[in-house]
Amino acid sequence: MSAGRKFNRRDFLKMSGAGLAGAALLGSSACGGGSSGGSGNLVFAMGRDTSGTLGPLVEEFNKQNKGGFKVTYRAMPTDSGQYFDKLQTEFQAGQSDIDVIGGDIIWAAQFAANQWVVDLSDRFPKSDQSKYLPAPIQGLTYDGKIWAVPWFTDAGMLFYRKDLLEKSGYSEPPKTWDQLKEMALKTKKDSGLEAGFVFQGDNYEGGVCNGLEYVWTHGGDVLDGDQVIIDSPETVAGLATERSMITDGVSPQAVSTLQETTTDPYFLGNKAVFARIWSYEYALAGTSSYPKVKPDQIGVASLPVGNGGPHANCLGGWNMYISALSDQQDEAWEFVKWMTGEYAEKKRAIDATLLPTLKSLYSDPELRKKVPTVAVADTAIAQAKPRPVSPYYSDMSLKMAEEFNTSLKGDISPEEAAKTLQKELESIQQQAE
Amino acid sequence: MTTPSGEKKRRGWLKEEFGNPERRAAYYMILPALIIVLVVACYPVLYGIVLSFTDSTVTTFGSFIGLENYVEMFQNPDFLEGLSNTLIYTVVSVALEFVIGLGIALAINQAFRGRGLVRAAILVPWAFPTVISAAMWRLMFQDQVGIIQYVANAIGLISEPILSDRTLLLIAAIVVDTWKTMPFMALLLLAGLQTIPGDVYEAARVDGANVMQRFFRITLPLLKGAILVALLFRTLDAYRAYDLFWVLGNRELQSLSTFVYEGVRISQLQFGQGNAAAVFIFVTAFLIALFFIRVLGMRTSVEE
Repeated sequence: MSAGRKFNRRDFLKMSGAGLAGAALLGSSACGGGSSGGSGNLVFAMGRDTSGTLGPLVEEFNKQNKGGFKVTYRAMPTDSGQYFDKLQTEFQAGQSDIDVIGGDIIWAAQFAANQWVVDLSDRFPKSDQSKYLPAPIQGLTYDGKIWAVPWFTDAGMLFYRKDLLEKSGYSEPPKTWDQLKEMALKTKKDSGLEAGFVFQGDNYEGGVCNGLEYVWTHGGDVLDGDQVIIDSPETVAGLATERSMITDGVSPQAVSTLQETTTDPYFLGNKAVFARIWSYEYALAGTSSYPKVKPDQIGVASLPVGNGGPHANCLGGWNMYISALSDQQDEAWEFVKWMTGEYAEKKRAIDATLLPTLKSLYSDPELRKKVPTVAVADTAIAQAKPRPVSPYYSDMSLKMAEEFNTSLKGDISPEEAAKTLQKELESIQQQAE
Repeated sequence: MTTPSGEKKRRGWLKEEFGNPERRAAYYMILPALIIVLVVACYPVLYGIVLSFTDSTVTTFGSFIGLENYVEMFQNPDFLEGLSNTLIYTVVSVALEFVIGLGIALAINQAFRGRGLVRAAILVPWAFPTVISAAMWRLMFQDQVGIIQYVANAIGLISEPILSDRTLLLIAAIVVDTWKTMPFMALLLLAGLQTIPGDVYEAARVDGANVMQRFFRITLPLLKGAILVALLFRTLDAYRAYDLFWVLGNRELQSLSTFVYEGVRISQLQFGQGNAAAVFIFVTAFLIALFFIRVLGMRTSVEE
């Protein structure tokens, strides 16, 4: 700006006017944030509910609970990463009016290590924990304490075309990955389908779940306590099996770019014999989006295993956390108890086809009849396994997503992927100390 | 350059500016605006620079560790990949946009029937928000429903899925960016073209200059200002690209900006490196702008 230029009075008035207006805005926003202030109202945050049944459920609680406080449901981003991002921003600022968080299972350790949520060990003792499925409890336990109550759950499972397998002479789903390959190739040929088996191999969180399932079902693992043990012959065998799906022609090459929504058109569009996907796939079959494949053509099983490996389906699911910033934690606990109780879980399973976390509900005849997913998915859910519980899980996940994906594409060998991951995860563990 | 006379001049200037009560009042009145600029623009930038020299995490302010973040950053293969991707992407896409954009600008600078309509039509890609066009193109590259993948396979150009290969993805990003911002380039250049008076060409034609001579001796030199502005805008824009890489590449394709995002938002451990990378982008973008202004002689104001 040249010094010689003269401003006229009107310019100055305009500028200072804008300045004052800006200052006023700043001032008001500074006072506007945060603080729930014990007004008797609780805020419950949860990803946007597409079924439209969560709001009414919260209302039902409010009606039953005449005890003076009211819960409002706040819709958060559906995408787990974006949701976490939003919470992280609020917690970093130390200002949040959220009392109860409906949160992803992989957040437990990160929440706990940052002290963003309340330790529930006293309110939710071991005797009560045993009423819930063991895998979610394990995933929510960090540092010997429990940080949330499991609300609904999910796991990776094997979906198969019952009708096509029967035509090719198979009466049962495959037990091992080798069987799966053999059955997929034959059935694919017999029925002229495009692909034998599809799963999510993209470089993202879902790719981590898929990769871990290959590692786990071959007997490998990521962590043993604090020790990184991913570089093992078992991991190499698992990743080699994953890669062989492409090289043996069982899966299309594009499987390394697939996520959930791009897997659906393969399996439900009558283009693949097998799919590894979450339980929602069942409810989607035969709907107007996917009319080609009907639910009665589909079977669901636990994922196959490597030779002699254990069953392990990657665990997902959502849980009830109580914010450490909440000044109404007792009221919040009342709400959590109700939402994770038999009545609410059952209602939610029926209304939104979500899988409950209470063991007892899996033998509930009404539920098994009304929600077929519960009946078909119970073994897969019972054999679910949580992802590594670490406060630095998001860093580990980034690395695993990348290495699993490059190994699947064949850019690096399984041995190299395992070795690189060992080094990278160890360095994350070291930095964390 | 604080020679005694310069010092004196400055003092004189200060006196002139603040001695006069009316001018002084004026400064008081800009003060609120100035404070807001300091608070919302300068403070975050400076704070980012400070953070990049500490071992801070997302939640806690750490202690001073010198250049460690920068050293680690330059050893981080993800950063280097982002840097090389960004450089290739910036140079190639801006060059393509410039050549094609200039061609289009020259074409629609001619008077022809329906010119207004054509000018409006070429702006359509530019009107798409980048995220939307990135998502749209991703679908077209996709292997099940993607038309581009289908055609590329059909004519035997490539056999592998485009979205699974990083080199192909980078090429795809360059294509999409060229498609999207070439109209913007064309429009800026067209504005420049229209400031060149017609009689210059007429005089040249009388002197017997052919098309090439007229282009290289008249159009290009007179268009230099507009070209530099357009190139600077596009270079800085491409250099900071985030949305296209993130959505089209879906975490597969690293750029400098996606590296920053991963560092400060997703990772719990690379907060320092993320900040260092942000500072790196800030400083290098500044240097690029300086290069345009100082070396290439771009004029930043109309005052002489």
